[in-house]
Amino acid sequence: MPDILAGLGLAPGIVHWMVLTAALFAVGLYGILTRRSAVGVLMAVELLLNSAALSFVVFNHFRMPALVDGQVMAVFVIAVAAAEVVVGMAVFVALYRVSHTVDLNRLDRLKNDEVKP
Amino acid sequence: MSEGAVETILFYAIAAMSLFFAIATVTARRLLRAAVALMFVLVLSAGFYVMLAAEFLAGVQVLVYVGGIVVVIVFVIMLTSSVDLLEERPPLLRKALGALAAIGFFGTTAAVYLTTDFGAAADAAPPAESARAIGAALLDYGPHGYVVPFEVISLLLLAALVGGIAVARRSPPPSQPLTSGGDLPGEVSFTPPKRQNDPEGGASHA
Amino acid sequence: MSGAVAALPFILRNAWLVAAIPFVSFVFVGLVLRPKVPRIAGVVATLSIFAAAGVAGGVAWEYYHLFPPGALHPAIVPFAFEWLRFMPGLTVTMGVLLDPISVLLLLVVTSVSALVHLYSIGYMHGDPGFGRFFTFLNLFTFSMLGLVIAPNILQIYVFWELVGVSSFLLIGYYYEKPSAVAASKKAFIVTRFADLGFLIGVLILGYNGYTAFGDVGPTVAREVTGRIATDLQPFDFLYLTHPDLLGRLAAPALAVGGVSLLTIAMILVFMGAAGKSAMFPLHIWLPDAMEGPTPVSALIHAATMVVAGVYLVARLFPAFAFSGDALTVVMCVGAFTSLFAAVIGCTQDDIKRVLAFSTLSQLGYMMFALGVAAMDRPAGYTASMFHLFTHAFFKALLFLGAGAVIHAVHTNSIWEMGALRRKMPITHLTFLVATLAIAGVWPLSGFFSKDEILAAALRGGHPVVFGLGLLVAALTAFYMFRIYIVVFLGRARHEHAEHAHEAPFVMWAPLALLALLSAVAGFVPFGSFVGIGAEAGHEGIDLAVAIPASTAGVLGIGLAFLLYSGDGARATAGANALGGAYRVVKRKFYVDELYLFVTHRIIFRHISRPIAWFDRHAVDGMVNLSGWTTRRTGSLLGALHGGRVQAYGVWLVGGTLFLLLVLWSAAF
Repeated sequence: MPDILAGLGLAPGIVHWMVLTAALFAVGLYGILTRRSAVGVLMAVELLLNSAALSFVVFNHFRMPALVDGQVMAVFVIAVAAAEVVVGMAVFVALYRVSHTVDLNRLDRLKNDEVKP
Repeated sequence: MSEGAVETILFYAIAAMSLFFAIATVTARRLLRAAVALMFVLVLSAGFYVMLAAEFLAGVQVLVYVGGIVVVIVFVIMLTSSVDLLEERPPLLRKALGALAAIGFFGTTAAVYLTTDFGAAADAAPPAESARAIGAALLDYGPHGYVVPFEVISLLLLAALVGGIAVARRSPPPSQPLTSGGDLPGEVSFTPPKRQNDPEGGASHA
Repeated sequence: MSGAVAALPFILRNAWLVAAIPFVSFVFVGLVLRPKVPRIAGVVATLSIFAAAGVAGGVAWEYYHLFPPGALHPAIVPFAFEWLRFMPGLTVTMGVLLDPISVLLLLVVTSVSALVHLYSIGYMHGDPGFGRFFTFLNLFTFSMLGLVIAPNILQIYVFWELVGVSSFLLIGYYYEKPSAVAASKKAFIVTRFADLGFLIGVLILGYNGYTAFGDVGPTVAREVTGRIATDLQPFDFLYLTHPDLLGRLAAPALAVGGVSLLTIAMILVFMGAAGKSAMFPLHIWLPDAMEGPTPVSALIHAATMVVAGVYLVARLFPAFAFSGDALTVVMCVGAFTSLFAAVIGCTQDDIKRVLAFSTLSQLGYMMFALGVAAMDRPAGYTASMFHLFTHAFFKALLFLGAGAVIHAVHTNSIWEMGALRRKMPITHLTFLVATLAIAGVWPLSGFFSKDEILAAALRGGHPVVFGLGLLVAALTAFYMFRIYIVVFLGRARHEHAEHAHEAPFVMWAPLALLALLSAVAGFVPFGSFVGIGAEAGHEGIDLAVAIPASTAGVLGIGLAFLLYSGDGARATAGANALGGAYRVVKRKFYVDELYLFVTHRIIFRHISRPIAWFDRHAVDGMVNLSGWTTRRTGSLLGALHGGRVQAYGVWLVGGTLFLLLVLWSAAF
């Protein structure tokens, strides 16, 4: 049976995959910009990293399927994400101990001397 | 129904679920739910990796991301806020600007992808055992060898480990000033804000 | 320093000590004694002025022995230093100019000031502001001496303002009293207004003198070589009064509307002099200035500061004489003020106000004496300085005597005094000497100086002024004997007057000294000391003048006795008979009211208020607007830096996208 969906241009090619990663990235971006909790922002950052890793693998799969360079890069991204989460979470814990909040809207001490109530 | 059609349908289904959970991750007002949604996104990404013939990576994804990172995030959520605590809504203007930025980004990149000629998909057989291939690449050097980045990553992880411990550790009592973590009472001056939506009061979290 | 100046006697080269001693004392008394031990402030201040008087005496002695007797004494500048250098060739110096009139003023100021200081120790005893009083008094003496010795017009201007400030401070000495505060402000504002004219005059003279300096300067410098300590500067009096320069200033090319520039400048300078010497339209501050303590009135508002205007005209006399018209203005203003004030003086009840109007009248005398003089007929010049000299003594004596009376009776009104002759015999005697002196009774000093002035007026070809002078002499005798009779003779009109006591020694000692000076000062051969231009050539008593003048004086005295001896009923009857005219005079011709009308109703309402509104709303508004705009812009831009990371993130992403789109669109 001929692939109707592929005939319609719906078979997932590289463009489809890339648009998907772009959409995931955009959602993460929205989260980074709007989350009030620092932890929420960190989760949104995980989304970004995930979509970036995914796009590496997509290119690997479609451009040079015989090699695994994209997958290696994805491994690195996962490792960096792990390191980032560890440090980020440690910072938030310390921050929380000092400020009793991880709300980014109140953590504007760059401008003001004290945390806004 | 051909294998291609199944794959196509599977792609759209997973993509839709993935996007749904991604949006849930960034909009859920309960952080724990957001964490769970994030976990789903990551698991679904592992599915994508399988579809892209990267089975080893899918395993790593599940182990490291879901098993490690999400757990750490849940820990921190527990540490820094009450489970019942609803995150405050962001200001409307911030929401609008964030949405604008996100949509602008998506539009721009999607337009780039749609107008770019990627050429025909290369047709070659994937390596039989991707795990072996990845392992070889990580320890190899030369055009497709990554031993130096691998070692750098290992250093990074070590630094993150030490840094995480150093930063998150409780500040020592004033009798040990030399081991200060930088947050001695005298070094940080602020007044604890009155916390909202927290029936227990601030002292229990200090 | 030129060799000739270096060879001068030590005391002349160090004549600056006359002004420096009071200055050092002022600083010491003001900063150290006043806050710590005000009790000895008076003694220290007084001793310093006596020291200055000693130096002044030495300076005078050496100065008059410097030149052969009989000849005119030229001006010398034995000491000067560079004060401000604007550019090479334009330097302002400070220094000491010695010529007959400055030496004369040095003697008068230091001696009267020393006696007033001494008197004040008694008069101000127990006053809470004792230290402050002597601080200001020292400041005044320093300023006045600096003014007197000024060798250039800028130094005289600086010290001119300094004496104005000291006068302001001392008139407002009783600053809890609203009337004293008002009087000090009035004095300051009126004299400031007059000084505006002076300043413009200084600028005109200075500018034109400077521009002409290249041509005229070397000639003048050659003439004065060996007599001045520094190079000749364009502001020096020796240069500004030189005929070569005056000829240039009076040239028709510089005339404005038919009036020569020299005349304009000199009239403006005279405006300042008229303000300081309280000449007619600007006289209103002097009667009010009597709110200050009486020694202040004696020193500043009778003997020294108010003659600064006369001194200024005398200092620039060659310029006034060269202009001619300006000198006529001086004469007319002086003569009118003299009569005007004498008439008012006959009606006042406050003893100090009578004396104040008397001062005005005598200052007018000195002014018109200068006005009738000329470079080739300098009798009036000499006579004016002579009268300044004698007047300083007897007017200071009158004020100090009045102060002793006020001190004893605790009132200023002559109608609450009376019969003090027996209670205060020394005061009475000295006051009588001064009264006779000012009335011009032979052989007291006033007779001689007044005689000289009247003679100068008659010989100068001004019979009208001579007649006015005679009239004023009669009026002077009248009002002076009026207060003398009311205060010292008759019966006590108030219980205070019955319990009066003689002043203490520190107060009557200066009185006695001044009385002595008032009595004998007339015998000084003044013409051989002070002169200008041609030889004065006139010495001794001119019977053609002395007889009418003495007759006028005697008539005035007789009239006063006729009206005021006994119960004064005849005076009251006379006043009633005059009716409205008397009231007009008593209210000082409504000049104060006229000023109030002009300032409040016209200037304030129609000029100042619109200007104030414009300033407040338009000018300030512009300034505020620019400030507001800056602040607003800042806060708008500052809002971008809210310290919120995510807001920064939005801008980062937005900017990146914008750049991306720009690059992308450029690629196609």
